[in-house]
Amino acid sequence: MTGTVAAPPTTGLADLLLSMADDEFVIGFSDSEWTGIAPLLEEDVAMSSIAQDELGHAAALYGLLARLAGTDPDAIAYDREPDAYRHCRLLDHGRGDWAMTIARRFLYDSADSVRLDALAGGGWAPLAELVGKIRREERYHRMHATAWLDRLARDDGEGRPRLIAALETLGPDAATVFAPLPDEPALVEAGILEAPMLDLEVRWRTAIEPVLIEHRLPLPPPMRQPDRARLDHGQPFRWLWGEFTSVRRADPGATW
Amino acid sequence: MSGDGGPATPAPTAAPAPTAAPAPVALGTSVLEAWEVFRQEKDGDPMRHGGSVMAPDAELAVHYARELYGRRQESVRLWVVRRGDVLDLDDPDLLQPPLDRSFKKPGGYVMRDKLAAARAQSGQAKPKARSK
Repeated sequence: MTGTVAAPPTTGLADLLLSMADDEFVIGFSDSEWTGIAPLLEEDVAMSSIAQDELGHAAALYGLLARLAGTDPDAIAYDREPDAYRHCRLLDHGRGDWAMTIARRFLYDSADSVRLDALAGGGWAPLAELVGKIRREERYHRMHATAWLDRLARDDGEGRPRLIAALETLGPDAATVFAPLPDEPALVEAGILEAPMLDLEVRWRTAIEPVLIEHRLPLPPPMRQPDRARLDHGQPFRWLWGEFTSVRRADPGATW
Repeated sequence: MSGDGGPATPAPTAAPAPTAAPAPVALGTSVLEAWEVFRQEKDGDPMRHGGSVMAPDAELAVHYARELYGRRQESVRLWVVRRGDVLDLDDPDLLQPPLDRSFKKPGGYVMRDKLAAARAQSGQAKPKARSK
């Protein structure tokens, strides 16, 4: 895709694109930490492939944002300081053990799916078209996360207690995917976003609660500090940022 | 895991015969089994053996087959079969009997002389080799 993008009908779009791109970028890099050390070779390939999918979605979203802003997608992805990233706090916990990764994937994929559904019929064609493609890949991600959630929940060894601990750690931040965005009413007004984020949060809870209740797993409590949900990234993200920007910073401006 | 998504290649280590009970591999509290993966490259192509995956159950076996033999869009269909469910036949008495069976092959009938005689009788020349 090249060329310019027709001017979007509203402000707030750049914030939406940046939040989604950063979410996909950060979970992609977090999951790529399993490459080489996943529980079995097949899962190593699967998790690495899913991580690559997420980076691909991030690249497409950064590309859309870059054309909107007339900048370079790589610069958006790699040249910001850690505080300028706008991913949600759910993705700020560090990789953790396998149960943490599965719990995070389950919570994030289910939330991302609701968010994508609310954008797929949107009034700005470049985003609606991209979301249509991303949705088809995310379907497999949800199948994969749910398959593992089922197995850990039913495990009579250490899998179940680890999964419960992970859900309790991530729970208060799970809904941060739906933290209200600046200028969100304008996005809804313009028909880009089908409903306010807090309505989407309700849809997401309706979707995941039966699964969690069936397995007697803890439900995510209400979101804490929604106004700071995409700010204040802590040490685990600063470490990850150091990793994923290290090559870029080693020789700024280098071309490949 | 074996194979690379391309034509079937022998596993680097000798795979157990399909009907032999594969040695179970423990992963935590679950047990891994071997699953054979067949792939179709495009609609209408035959299903070809792609390789195998290890997985604790059918659902994850399908996921792993998708990742190892389909993530690069190299397949339009996969068949995933538990290795223990494959019916194995390698009995030499049934497959490689000792007597001459060449008459069961098309090559067992030499047509050249009969064709030459028929042409001579009808006065036809031997057709030229088809040009490429």
